[in-house]
Amino acid sequence: MTSQAFTIAGRVVRQLTRDRRTMALIFIVPVVVMTLIGLSFPQAGVLDYIAPALLATLALFFGFLLTGISFLRERSQGTLERLMASPLSRLDIVVGYLCGFFIFALAQTLIILLFTIYVLDVNYRGDLWQIFIFQVVVIIGAVNLGIFVSTFARNEFQMVQFIPLIILPQVFLCGVIWPVEQMPDYLQWLSVVLPLTYAVDGLRNIMLSGQSLMDVGLELAVLVGFTILISIIAAVTLRRGA
Amino acid sequence: MIVLKSEFTEPAVVVDRVSFSYNSLKVLDELTLQVPRGISFGLLGPNGAGKTTLIRLLVGLLRPKYGRILILGQTPSRKIAHLIGYMPQLHSLYIELSVMQNVDFFARIYHVTDRTERVQRVEQAIRLVDMWGRRNDAVQKLSSGMKQRVSLACAIVHNPPLLFLDEPTVGLDPELRVTFWEYFATLTKKGSTLIISSHTMDDAAHCDSLAFMRDGKIIAQGTPNDLRRATGSPGATLEDAFLYFVHSGKADNDD
Repeated sequence: MTSQAFTIAGRVVRQLTRDRRTMALIFIVPVVVMTLIGLSFPQAGVLDYIAPALLATLALFFGFLLTGISFLRERSQGTLERLMASPLSRLDIVVGYLCGFFIFALAQTLIILLFTIYVLDVNYRGDLWQIFIFQVVVIIGAVNLGIFVSTFARNEFQMVQFIPLIILPQVFLCGVIWPVEQMPDYLQWLSVVLPLTYAVDGLRNIMLSGQSLMDVGLELAVLVGFTILISIIAAVTLRRGA
Repeated sequence: MIVLKSEFTEPAVVVDRVSFSYNSLKVLDELTLQVPRGISFGLLGPNGAGKTTLIRLLVGLLRPKYGRILILGQTPSRKIAHLIGYMPQLHSLYIELSVMQNVDFFARIYHVTDRTERVQRVEQAIRLVDMWGRRNDAVQKLSSGMKQRVSLACAIVHNPPLLFLDEPTVGLDPELRVTFWEYFATLTKKGSTLIISSHTMDDAAHCDSLAFMRDGKIIAQGTPNDLRRATGSPGATLEDAFLYFVHSGKADNDD
C-alpha cells in the first residue's frame, strides 16, 4: 500500500469520526440488533448453531452497507471526481477507501463477535483469534463488494435496492437458514459461486467443530480469491471518467 | 469558427478537432482550440454549450471520441495531473472536515510531501482565499461563497502551472467576485495559465482571451477588445459581441 492510499484512509477515518451521529449509529446498531436476536432465541442450543452464520451474514451486511453508502456519497458530492483528476492511481483510491472503511466495519464486527460470545453466552469450540481472523477476511470482501456495487448506483435509494439483490439472496441460498444440501440442485450450484456460502461454512467449522484456519483453508482461499477479484474489478470500473 | 489575432504564443492547451457525445447526444463537435501559456482564458457560453464537458476532457476525466488533446505538450493522464489544478463546478469538499483538513488533504495527494513546505502552502492557500479566520471550522458550517473559496484553495495549494476552474464565480457576491479576479490576475502574472468557464459576460471582461462556445462549437476566439471591435459597432458590449457571432454563424450556416 502506498503512502497515498494511507492519506485517503486517514481522511476517511477523520471524516467519519467527525460525524458523531454516524459514529454513534455505527456502534449502537450492532448492539441493538444482537440484543434482539439474543432475546428471540430462548433456547441456547439453537443460538449456538445459528451464531456462526449470523456473524458471517452481519459482517457482510454491515460492511457492504457502510461502504456502499459512504462511497456513493463521494460520487454524488463530486469529491471522487476530484480525486480521479488528481495524480492518484485507481489502486491507491480503492485500497485507501478499503482501509478507511475497513476500520469501521471491523469495529462493528468486533462488537457483534464479542457481544455474541460474552453477552449472549454462545458456546464455541475453536480459538477466538482464529474466528476473528476469518471474520477479517469476510469484512475485507464485504467492503470491496460495497465499493464495487456503488459504481452501479446513482443515488442512495438505488444503493439500498442492491441489498435485496445482493445480500438477501445469499441469506437464503448460502446455508444461513437451512442446509444447502436440502435445496434443489440448480440452487446448490448457485450457492457455490456466492461468497457467503464459504463464510458460513468456514465459521461453522471453526466455531462448532473446533477446526483451525488451516482446516478451513479452502473456504479461506475462496474468500481471499473473491476479495482480490472484486478489488481488481472495482479498480477497473473506477474510471477517470467515473 | 472565427479566430481573431492573438499576441500570445506557445500553447498550454491544444484541442484539435475534438468530438464528444454522451450516448446519442453530441456535446462537442469537432472543437478546435489553442490556449497560450500565462494567460487567463475564458470559455464563455450559455448552459449546455459544452463548457464543463470540455473542461472534464482537458483534466482527463473524459476521453475524446475523436480528435486530440495536448495539455502542456502531453496527452491528459495521471502522469501530468500534478501540474494541473482543478476546481469543479460542485464544491466537491469533505463537508465534515475543517477548512484546514480539506486543503491539507489535497496538498498531500498532489505530492506536497515535505511537512514544512506543506504547512506553509496550506496556510498560504487559505490566507489567499481569506479563510484563515475560519480554518478550523467544518466546511458544512460555511456559506456557499465560503465553500467556493475553500474549493479554490484546494485547487491552488500545490501551485500548479495550469488551472481549470469550472464556473468559479457562481454564487459569489460582487465583492468576492472582484477579489477572485484580482487573485486570478496575480496568478497569471506569476506565469500560471487559467482556463475559466463561465456563462456570465461580467466574468468574460476579466479574461485575457476568450472563446465563445455554443452547441459544442467555438464560434469566436480572441481578446475581449478584439471580440467587441469585430462587431463593427462602437460601444458594443461582450454580450453584443456574443450575439453578433451567434447570428453571423447562423448566417454562414444558412449560406
